[in-house]
Amino acid sequence: MNTPRRRIVPRLLQLVLVVLGVYLGFILVFDVLLGQLIPKSLLTMYMVFVIAGAIMVFTFTEEGAQELVGPIKALVEDPSKKWVRNVVFVIVPLLAGYYVYSSMLPGFEAPVELRTIHPAPPGKFKAYGKSYNLATLENPFRKFEKEDPAKFKELVKEGGNIYIKNCQYCHGDKLDGKGPYAAGLNPTPLNFQDVGTIAQLQESFLFWRIATGGPGLPGEAAPWISSMPVWQDFLAEDEIWKVILFLYNYTGRQPRSWAHE
Amino acid sequence: MNNRRWEKTMAILHQLALLTACSALLMAGPAAAKPGTADKGKGIYDQRCTWCHGAEGDGAGAAKEFLNPPPRDFTGGNYKIKSSFFDDMVPSDEDVFRMIRDGMPGTAMPGWSDLLSEQDMWDLVAYVKSFAQYDKPPAKMVDYGSPVASSAESIEKGKKLFEDGDRCVECHGKSGKGSLTKRLKGDGGERTWPRNLTKPWTYRGSADPKDIFTRVSTGIPGTEMPSFADPKSNKKLTVEETWHVANYVASLAKSGKPVAADDTVIKADKVDGELPGTPVDERWKKAAPTTFYMVPQIIGKERYFTPANDTISVRAMYNDQAIAILLEWDDRTKSIPGDEGAEKLADPPLTEDAVAVQLPVVIPSDMQKPYFGMGDAAHPVNIWHWKSAGKGTAESVNLLSSRGFKEIEKRDAAAIGLTAKASYEDGTWKVLMIRSLATTETDKDIQFVEGKFIPVAFAAWDGSNNSEKGSKHTMTTWYWMLLKPAVGYRPLLLGLIVALLVAGGLIWWGRGAAARRR
Ligand code: HEC
Ligand code: HEC
Ligand code: HEC
Repeated sequence: MNTPRRRIVPRLLQLVLVVLGVYLGFILVFDVLLGQLIPKSLLTMYMVFVIAGAIMVFTFTEEGAQELVGPIKALVEDPSKKWVRNVVFVIVPLLAGYYVYSSMLPGFEAPVELRTIHPAPPGKFKAYGKSYNLATLENPFRKFEKEDPAKFKELVKEGGNIYIKNCQYCHGDKLDGKGPYAAGLNPTPLNFQDVGTIAQLQESFLFWRIATGGPGLPGEAAPWISSMPVWQDFLAEDEIWKVILFLYNYTGRQPRSWAHE
Repeated sequence: MNNRRWEKTMAILHQLALLTACSALLMAGPAAAKPGTADKGKGIYDQRCTWCHGAEGDGAGAAKEFLNPPPRDFTGGNYKIKSSFFDDMVPSDEDVFRMIRDGMPGTAMPGWSDLLSEQDMWDLVAYVKSFAQYDKPPAKMVDYGSPVASSAESIEKGKKLFEDGDRCVECHGKSGKGSLTKRLKGDGGERTWPRNLTKPWTYRGSADPKDIFTRVSTGIPGTEMPSFADPKSNKKLTVEETWHVANYVASLAKSGKPVAADDTVIKADKVDGELPGTPVDERWKKAAPTTFYMVPQIIGKERYFTPANDTISVRAMYNDQAIAILLEWDDRTKSIPGDEGAEKLADPPLTEDAVAVQLPVVIPSDMQKPYFGMGDAAHPVNIWHWKSAGKGTAESVNLLSSRGFKEIEKRDAAAIGLTAKASYEDGTWKVLMIRSLATTETDKDIQFVEGKFIPVAFAAWDGSNNSEKGSKHTMTTWYWMLLKPAVGYRPLLLGLIVALLVAGGLIWWGRGAAARRR
C-alpha cells in the first residue's frame, strides 16, 4: 500500500463534508429561505445522485480511490486502532439496524400530487351553449387597442371592476396569486404577474380556462382539485373578454398570438 | 405547446430572483420618512387603489359591497392603525406608510412593497391623507412611558385588568376569542366582529406588545373598540397597566392554533377499548390537532363573501369498531333560533350553526378524487352534516350521499350508526362525530381502512353571521386523513436482523484482515 499524502483535511472527510454541504444547502435554500419544503422522496433521490457523483469524482484516479478508502482499511487492519475498531463495529450495525427499523415504520407524509398546470387545450370546446374553435377564437375587443385607445381604456376599466368583484379573493388585487383566500386553496390560484402564466398564453386559451374553470380541465390537470370557478355561470361572454384585457393591461404583459408561433 | 419545461426553468429562475429579493430585503433598513408628493400619488392611486377605495377616496370602489371590512373611506378621516394620541384623528405619515407597505392582515387590503417603490408609497401617503385634508403631522403621539417587559407577573396583572369589570371581556370574551355580548358596527354601518385575539394572523397591526399597547391606548377609530387612555373612560388604564394588558394579549395571541402549511394530514391513532364519548373527553388532549384554513364558498352559486371564521382544527382516533372525529372551530355566537338573546346578536334571520365532513365513497387508489365541491357523477361523496340545537329542537346529524350539488340523496344517519355530539364554550364549538369503520351499504358509504390516505374536506356555517345557510358557508378543499396502522413487531425484528448481519460482516472482514497480517 502506498503511503497517502498528508492533507489538512483527509479525502474521506472531504467527501463527507461535500455531501453534507450540499444537503444543508438544499435545506437552507428551500426550507429556510423559500419556505417550501422539498418532498422527502425527492430529496432522497437528489442526495443519491449527489453521493454517487461525489464518489465518482473522488475515485476518478486509482490514487484518489486508494486515498479515499485508506482510512477505512487502516481502521480494520491496523492493530494499533483496536479500540476505535471495536467502537465502530458496535455503532455501525446499530445504525444500520435503526435505519431499517425507522424506514419500516409507516410514513405520514401526504402523497405528492403532480398535475400539469398548462395542459394542451382542446381544439374545440362548449360554453354558453355553443361551440368555440380555439384556433380561430380572438378577443373581439383587442382591436380597439390601436383603433380607439379611449374606448380601449374604458373596456380595461370595466374589466378591472369585474376582476375586483370576482377574482381578487383568490388571484389577489395585485394579480400575484396571493388573494386573501389563496392560502386556503390547493392548488394555489395562479400568479398572473409571473412570466410563466398569461404571458405564455393566447387570449383564446384564457377564455377557455375562465369560461369552463377547474371542471373544464382535462384529466392530467386534476380538475377535481382546482377551485377555479366556472365563470360562464356568473359572467357574460363580453365580460370575460374584458377581464382578459384587464389581466394583460395591469401586468403590462402581451398575449401570445398565432403570428409569433 | 411545450410549456412544461419552460415552466420548470422559470420556476427555478423565479426562486433565484426571490432569493436575491429576500436578501436585499434583509439588508434594507427601516423606512425613513421621505416627503411624498400628492400629485404623483394620485397617478398611482388611480391605477392601483380606486378599485376598492374609489376615485374620490370615499371607499365606494367596485368591490365595496363584497368586502367586510369594507375598503376605507379616506374622506371620513378614520385610521384604524395609528400612533397619534387617542384624541387626535390625524395619523402620522409613518402609520399610513406602514399600512400601505405591509397591508392589513385579515382583510382585502394587501401590502404593496413588492409592486411599488418606497417613493411611490410615500407619494401615496401624501395623496391618501389629502382626502381628509390632513396636511399637518399629529399634534401629540401615544405616550409609551417606560415599557414593561413581558413576565409571568405582568401577564397575570394584565389578565386581571382584562377581566376587571368586563373591561375587555365585554367584547373579546374571557378566552379572547370574541364571544361578545352586543352587536357592533363600524363607521360605514357595516357589521364588525371584535378581533379573535388568539389569532395573531388577523391582527391589522401586529401582535407585538408595543403594537397592542398602541391599539389599546388609541382604540381602533371607526369601530367600537374604545380608547383606554381616554381620561373620561371609567375603564381607563394607566400607561403601566396598558403594558400589562398588552403583555397578556400578546400571550393570548400565542394560545391559538395556527395553520402549518405543510401539515395536511389528520393522523388518527388506534386506541384499545372505548373511543372518547364526548367532545370534552380528557383523552382528546393527547391527540395532536391539524388545523386548516377555511375560505368562504365563492366557487358555485350562490356565492358568499363575508365570513367570520377562517380556521378549523381536527383530531381523530379509532378502534377495531369505529372512528371518532373531533372538529373544533371558533364561533363568537352560539346561534339558537328562537332564543331572544341569540336573535339580538345575529343578522336576521338567525339559523343554526353547523359543520360538515366530506369523504369519498370509494377511497381513491390513484390520483383522481371526487370533485372537491360535493363530488361528481362518477365519484360520489358522503357528507356528514351536524346542525346545532334550536329553542325546542335538538342538535342533529344528517347523512348525505352526493354526486355534485344537483344530485343529493338524504339518508338515515342512525341506520349506519353515525352519531354526533357537540359542546360550546367561550367562543369555541367542538363537535364529535363517530361512525363504524364498516357499514352494510358498501356501495354508498365509505369503508374505513388502516394505512390509506383518505381525502377529507370540511365546511362550517355560522348562523348568526349574515345568515350563513345552504351554499353560504366557509369551507376547505381536499386534505387527508390517515388511520395510523398499529406498528406490530416486524420493523423491530427486521432492524435486529440487519444489525446482526452487518455486525457479522464486519467481524468477518476484521478477522480476515488479521489473518492476512499474520
Ligand atoms: C376560488 C378561487 C378563484 C377565483 C375566485 C378565481 N380563480 Fe382563477 N384560478 C384559481 C385557481 C386555484 C387556479 C389554478 C388552478 C387551475 O389551473 O385551475 C386558477 C387559474 C386561473 C387561470 C389559468 C391561468 C393559467 O396560467 O393557466 C386563469 C386565466 C384564471 N384563473 C382567471 C380567473 C379570473 C379571470 C377570475 C375572475 C373572473 C378567476 N380566475 C377567479 C382560483 C380562482
Ligand atoms: C382589494 C381592495 C383594496 C385595494 C386594491 C386597496 N385597498 Fe386599501 N384597504 C382595503 C380595505 C378592505 C381596507 C380596510 C381594512 C380594515 O378596515 O380593516 C383598506 C384600508 C386602507 C388604509 C387604512 C389604514 C388604516 O390604518 O386604517 C389605507 C391607508 C389604504 N387602505 C391604502 C391603500 C392604497 C394606497 C391602495 C393602493 C395602492 C390600496 N389601499 C388598495 C382594501 C383595498
Ligand atoms: C366595545 C367593544 C370592545 C371592547 C370593550 C374592547 N375591544 Fe378590542 N376590539 C373591538 C373590535 C370591534 C375590534 C376589531 C376592530 C376592527 O374591526 O378592526 C377590536 C380589536 C382589538 C385588537 C386588534 C388590534 C389589531 O391590530 O387588529 C386588540 C389587540 C384589542 N381589540 C384589544 C382589546 C383590549 C386589550 C381591550 C380591553 C382593554 C379591548 N380590546 C376592549 C371591540 C372592543
